[in-house]
Amino acid sequence: MMKNRKKIVNVVYHIFVCAAGFIMIYPLLWMIMSSFKETSTIFTTATSLIPEHFTLENYANGWKGFAKVSFATFFKNSLFISIVATVGTVLSSSIVAYGFARCNFPGKKILFAAMLASMMLPAQVLMIPQYLWYQKLNWVGSYLPLIVPYWFAVQGFFVYLMTNFIEGIPRELDEAAKIDGCSYYGIYRRIIFPLMVPSMITGSIFSFMWRWDDFLGALLYVNKTEKYPVSLALKMFCDPSSSSDYGAMFAMATLSILPAVLIFFCLQKYLVEGISTSGLKG
Amino acid sequence: MKKKKQRTLRQKLNTERSAGILCTLPFTIGFLAFMIVPMCISLYYSFCDYNILTPPVFSGLKNFKRMIEDSVFYQTLFVTFKFAIISVPLRLVFALIVAMLLFKSTKMTGIYRAMYYLPSIIGGSVAVAILWKRLFSLDGLINKILMSLGMKESVAWLGDTRTAIWTLIILAVWQFGSSMLIFLSALKQIPTSLYEAARVDGANGWQQFWKITLKLLTPTIHFNLVMQMINGFLAFTQCLIITQGKPLNSTLFYTVYMYQQSFLFGSTGYGAALAWVMLALIAFITWILFATKKLWVYDGGL
Amino acid sequence: MKKKMLSLLLASAMAFSLAACGSDGGSTGSDSADTGNSTAAGSTQSSADSGSAAQDFGSAKDVSMVFSWWGNQIRNERTQASLDLYSTQNPGVTFDTQPAEWSDYWTKLSTLAAGNSLPECIQMDYSYLMQYASSDLLADLTPYVESGVLDVSDVDPGILESGSIDGKVYAVCAGVNAPSLFYNKTLMDELNIEVKDNMTLEEFMDVCRQVYEKSGVKTDLPYSAGDNYLPFNLRSHDTTQLFNEDSLNVPDADSFVEYFSIYETATKEGWIVGADVHAELTANSVEQSPLVYFSSPATQSWCGFFWSNQLSAMVAAAPEGMEIGITTWPSDDPQKSNFLKPSSFFCVSRDAGENEEEAVKVLNFLLNSQEANEILLGERGVPASSVVAAGIAPLQDETAQAVTNYINNVVTPNCSPISPAIPDGANEVYDYCNQLVDKILYGEITAEDAAKELFEKGNEIMAR
Repeated sequence: MMKNRKKIVNVVYHIFVCAAGFIMIYPLLWMIMSSFKETSTIFTTATSLIPEHFTLENYANGWKGFAKVSFATFFKNSLFISIVATVGTVLSSSIVAYGFARCNFPGKKILFAAMLASMMLPAQVLMIPQYLWYQKLNWVGSYLPLIVPYWFAVQGFFVYLMTNFIEGIPRELDEAAKIDGCSYYGIYRRIIFPLMVPSMITGSIFSFMWRWDDFLGALLYVNKTEKYPVSLALKMFCDPSSSSDYGAMFAMATLSILPAVLIFFCLQKYLVEGISTSGLKG
Repeated sequence: MKKKKQRTLRQKLNTERSAGILCTLPFTIGFLAFMIVPMCISLYYSFCDYNILTPPVFSGLKNFKRMIEDSVFYQTLFVTFKFAIISVPLRLVFALIVAMLLFKSTKMTGIYRAMYYLPSIIGGSVAVAILWKRLFSLDGLINKILMSLGMKESVAWLGDTRTAIWTLIILAVWQFGSSMLIFLSALKQIPTSLYEAARVDGANGWQQFWKITLKLLTPTIHFNLVMQMINGFLAFTQCLIITQGKPLNSTLFYTVYMYQQSFLFGSTGYGAALAWVMLALIAFITWILFATKKLWVYDGGL
Repeated sequence: MKKKMLSLLLASAMAFSLAACGSDGGSTGSDSADTGNSTAAGSTQSSADSGSAAQDFGSAKDVSMVFSWWGNQIRNERTQASLDLYSTQNPGVTFDTQPAEWSDYWTKLSTLAAGNSLPECIQMDYSYLMQYASSDLLADLTPYVESGVLDVSDVDPGILESGSIDGKVYAVCAGVNAPSLFYNKTLMDELNIEVKDNMTLEEFMDVCRQVYEKSGVKTDLPYSAGDNYLPFNLRSHDTTQLFNEDSLNVPDADSFVEYFSIYETATKEGWIVGADVHAELTANSVEQSPLVYFSSPATQSWCGFFWSNQLSAMVAAAPEGMEIGITTWPSDDPQKSNFLKPSSFFCVSRDAGENEEEAVKVLNFLLNSQEANEILLGERGVPASSVVAAGIAPLQDETAQAVTNYINNVVTPNCSPISPAIPDGANEVYDYCNQLVDKILYGEITAEDAAKELFEKGNEIMAR
């Protein structure tokens, strides 16, 4: 009896989650399916999901890119920028977050406020001043502006995210380690760092995705077609004032979300309950 | 003697003070090297006549005076507030519910989570813009569904000043994936032993949820609230790619107006002034969120 | 413990420096420099600091230039191919090409202008020409025209004039365009309604009414396009220039009444494609024009206001079996209203420095080389050089030939010079004008009131 009820609840759960999930990803499915439609029929058949004529032509057209540079190059560029910047963001943010969460020091409040404030200015208004500054540093035309700042935890979001997470780790663990002779840095390395893995995973997923999607930076600082990342190249398919190749755009857009999806799949399993935390409370 | 000095250095480095300063050093450097200068330059622009193409000329408070008389400024401010205040709480509620639903691990968990997270990945792409307009168009899916449910006439959701903003709000709510992930990682942090103890005490599911889960999640909720508020007020892409402020500026976001002024209308100085006023407003709201933190955010050991 | 901490910092510092190396080396392999602040990096990418560009490296003939433009894939490919041809014909000259999407293009260009690092060769639009030229960002090409480096002998003087400001040549026409009304020829034949060239406003509106009565198909008047259609309308009443330095160049608000009343009448009579339909479309996009993209007569239009070089895109976007015709925009005085306009220009930026002459040579190549234009094939509009235009005509497809025919035989004999380029602030005036049209479409304001508001607000914006 009890078992049966549990089974029913389980089935209902799966049906509900699947149905709601379908609504969630319908737009995505639409994009993927559109990428297999002939370009001329994408808009006329927008309401139907399944292509009348299944074609791979869009992928062939899109992949060859433009100006003799194929999408393979754009993907390589994007991967390089996103991975290096993400590693930098996660590592630097985690240590800064530890400082914020566990140590009191003069100027902490001001520093924290500065971090929050730096998130409150719209990126668009900083574009020109930032460009002028990187030009002074002679970094224009390279990937440096797209990578180096992220190794210095300039994205307050991640610092704050991890600070918050560390604050959720019981302080008793620190105290115990301190009694055992651990320094502040040792506590970070031996206790906090391993325990904050879930928040670093979350951070990596976000950071990768945001770096991958970022095109404003690339627009300003990359000045050769063969150095363009995917985000910038994707925009080349559409020119409202003349013909746009929506089919190719959808095809490449579909491919371009693959890395983020793969990373999500690989990393999300670390966010499942009950792997390491049950014994946390000492 | 020398040995003693070294010891003190090591000891000095191992105080809470220096550990804090050292650990936050990357950010301090990063902030000084990459953020402070551009921020100051843009602050300076806000006091200037500037159109990008010619050098800025100091003009005092002119831009701010202009703002007071600018009716579009008030309108976009209103639109942005409405958008943020409705979409942010909805987004968080959805994110929390879904995170709770998808926290337990079954074979399908990975796929389910991906399904709910994917909308956030495609974010602000052109594909989303096109699709969203299709969904809400006169002959779009939404109208078709509503009409099969008995609605008499199809509604021009995007063409009506009263409903257009809602299409953007729904889009924002739909992309709750990032908050969901943060909730998931916070849920993972709650020790299962607490639930076991509660069960021994005879607490039912609801009580466990209220007394343990929600209570321990309050810091994360606070975090999400702060971050999403900031993001909500700075929302940009949705408006730019889908409505461009139409119809009749009823969906014109503050940041998009700022962008238009800066890059299209040649009033870059005014754009900078708009941005700094927005910063002040967001800072004020954030300050309120932090000031009221101790009233509802759980802040004790476990 | 401290050591471990330090080693961690060191490790991250190393990773960081690796990243710095990789960023340059990882992509092309041809760049020699990777040290961040090196001047060599600047010399290969002269946009970074054109001042010190390449003066002490290699022979004087080795020039690397940046060429940037906006456009779609077809344009990207053809432009790249023609530049490659230049590189093969002129060994030592290489290009870094930077195509971008329209709105990104202008964001980027203005930012680069702020940094005094504009690309050597830039594609320019008429609506931005004045601002860039008057801000002293473009090189004066007059000396090169005089010395013959830039050969404009085959270019129509009126077209050349459109790229000039105060008697100085700043821009070379990349292709000639004219305002064109595209219409659904198939539908009009079916309904047996005649569409003739040079319709007056009244004739045009009669056609609209007839179409609406007979088929329910509406008319798509210019939407979000005040910058095109308002001046076109004003030209028929002898206002060739809407803007003075700091005011509107019209005596009073009445000048605008006709423009707004077209929309008012159309809204009252119900034959206009409304703002609610446009809210679901991408403004001014060819593919999503109600002419070719619709779900019912209520969202369909029998015509669309475009430019001649968009015809082939429109033909490609049209559903099967729909023939697209081309004619003039309606005007009470077509001879005064019609004009030829460069679809876009090529300019050399002031930041080109010592590459200036070489950049001008490239422009000359794109303007006069038969071979280059056989690659470009008039994608930016009919080539400005009449010799080249005649030369590539046989290579063009039917649609492109129809465009050439329209320009040469319909517009050219019956047009006036283009209005002067618009100054700072004009874009904001037009944006406001578009909002007023929206209000009329929503029935919130009368044509007279809209005219008054535009007159007042327009003057206010220009005075700023």
